[in-house]
Amino acid sequence: MKLATKLLLFIAGSKLAVAALFILLLPFLVDQIASEYTNYILKEQQEKVMDIVAENGIQHYLQGEDSYGSYTLLKEEYIALEPHQEKTILDTIKDTKRIIEGDTLNYRVLSYTFNYQNKPYLLEVGKTLASIHQYNQPLQRFALYVLISLIVFTVLIDVTFTRLLVKPLGQIIKTRLVNRKFPFKDQDTKINTSTTDFTYLDESILILMKQINEAFAKEREFTANASHELMTPISILQHKLENLLRDEDLSESAELGILETMKTLDRLKKISSSLLLISRIDNEQFVKKDEVKPIALLQDILEEISHRLEEKNIQIHLNLKEDVLLKQVNQDLLFQLFYNLINNAIKFNKEKGSIEIFDELLSFNQYQITVKDTGRGIAKAQIPFIFNRFRKSDQAENPGYGLGLAIVKSIASYHQITIQVSSELGKGTSFKVLFNLF
Amino acid sequence: MKVLIIEDEKTLAYEMETFLKKAFYVCDLAHTFHDGLEKAQINSYDFILIDLGLPDGDGLDILKKIKKSHPEAVFIIITARGNLEDKITGLDLGADDYLAKPFYLLELQSRMQAIARRKFNVQDELLTIGDFEIDIQKRLVIHNKQEIELSRKEFDLLSYLLLHKNRVLTRMQLSEHIWGTFADVDYDSNYIDAHIKNIRKKLNVLASTEWLETVRGVGYRIRK
Repeated sequence: MKLATKLLLFIAGSKLAVAALFILLLPFLVDQIASEYTNYILKEQQEKVMDIVAENGIQHYLQGEDSYGSYTLLKEEYIALEPHQEKTILDTIKDTKRIIEGDTLNYRVLSYTFNYQNKPYLLEVGKTLASIHQYNQPLQRFALYVLISLIVFTVLIDVTFTRLLVKPLGQIIKTRLVNRKFPFKDQDTKINTSTTDFTYLDESILILMKQINEAFAKEREFTANASHELMTPISILQHKLENLLRDEDLSESAELGILETMKTLDRLKKISSSLLLISRIDNEQFVKKDEVKPIALLQDILEEISHRLEEKNIQIHLNLKEDVLLKQVNQDLLFQLFYNLINNAIKFNKEKGSIEIFDELLSFNQYQITVKDTGRGIAKAQIPFIFNRFRKSDQAENPGYGLGLAIVKSIASYHQITIQVSSELGKGTSFKVLFNLF
Repeated sequence: MKVLIIEDEKTLAYEMETFLKKAFYVCDLAHTFHDGLEKAQINSYDFILIDLGLPDGDGLDILKKIKKSHPEAVFIIITARGNLEDKITGLDLGADDYLAKPFYLLELQSRMQAIARRKFNVQDELLTIGDFEIDIQKRLVIHNKQEIELSRKEFDLLSYLLLHKNRVLTRMQLSEHIWGTFADVDYDSNYIDAHIKNIRKKLNVLASTEWLETVRGVGYRIRK
């Protein structure tokens, strides 16, 4: 999951959790507020009454009667003042029932006793519970709506902001890491961001890439120089041996010795020139300007290699479309690529085996040539390594310097050709060479 | 035939000299750009072999400077550089051939012979061997006026052996002449044997090919 998505999910989740908790607590909170407020109102009323009594005397209420009582039209509130019979002193607020004009109603009642001119009186101020809680429902609903719209609003802000915040990371991944081809080019532009972590990450990746580039360049330079420098001493040795071999008085054993040496030298020469070829491909010293018809190319190769097919009695089936044209390629290199693949298909084939070469148009611009043999196959564990230089095959009977497929790999990556290998031990191997036509 | 070898690697130059002397060429050696240029300007040569990477200059410049004054000479470029551009520049400047190091001396000799035949307009392109005649120019093998069809490689092989008749050629020398050095690492393969077998098969139908000898452990030879 993307970092931005994760962040968003986390933010939205935590917001929802808090909101849910708040909504769960809301009835309780609203109740609490309502009853606090009621207590406050009741006390206010009590004080008002006490003020009036202090100013105007108790008769202001009683007016000669024994007691005073008053209530609103809907009986939501009432106030009562009467002489207090018992000795107890009261100053409480509690929920209790009262019967007013035959209706039994739940009230929240403030009871307060006080002395006036040495006579005890009891003041009661009451408010129906129904009226206290009448705003609970609308209040809760209103709070809920406000909350939901706040959540939606903040999540929208979060989406925009996290996107902006995480965008440089996406850029770093896209421009630096995804689909990179060796060697890395155009690494000068820095990612524009004010987040220090991203700047740091970007700089570190840039430094790393630079180091890899340098190491890669050094390695290529070394291969090129080493194999190049080897050519002169090999030439000298080769010419010396050739001159020695022409000596008429040479004994047969000396002659054979020289020949053996020449063979070894020849091997050294081939390795050097293979390495040189690889480094020339890697250094892009070949021009890709040819137009090649695969069928003509493959026919040329088969003509070159036919004698080897006969040695092993191998049947070869070439089945390619006539009208395919590969553009912007190097003919010699493609020749080498398929030559090496077919050469391997022969080398690792069994006596009287067969090789099939066929093509497919996979999509409007993807063209694939498959070289399939009936040879001994490659163990699954070996497949990832077959394109490495100087791979040692575990089968002792086949010589080879592990450079044929390394050359194939270099040519393929130089031409942006994909090669897939599938193999089954004892049954054969197939190499799929995938071209992009456009 | 007089040859100038301009090569800074002294040992290499000596070995080339040794080889060419045995083939009755007269050789001069130069190890630097200036020495080479001077020798080429003073003397006249039939062949000038130029190494491109000289310590005090590029061999191509020698070629540029002396090509006009020596129109008759054959220029062969010898180099460790195998770049296509180098080859093209060299040939464009008027070089007659181009050999990439390391090469077999035999290969050098036969290229020199081939160029000489062309350049000095040698008409005698018809070589005889046994009961067969070989037309190098038309690339034909003829027996009793009947043409025998050989494949391209088979003809190359036969004519190369014939050019170096009475000499044993190793499989490596033969394969390098026919296939070049373009990275085919299967040096052990016996494709030269396969070609020889085919040549014998095709010719033996008409006449004996005893002159084409297999030298055990070494290679092949045409004895005449």
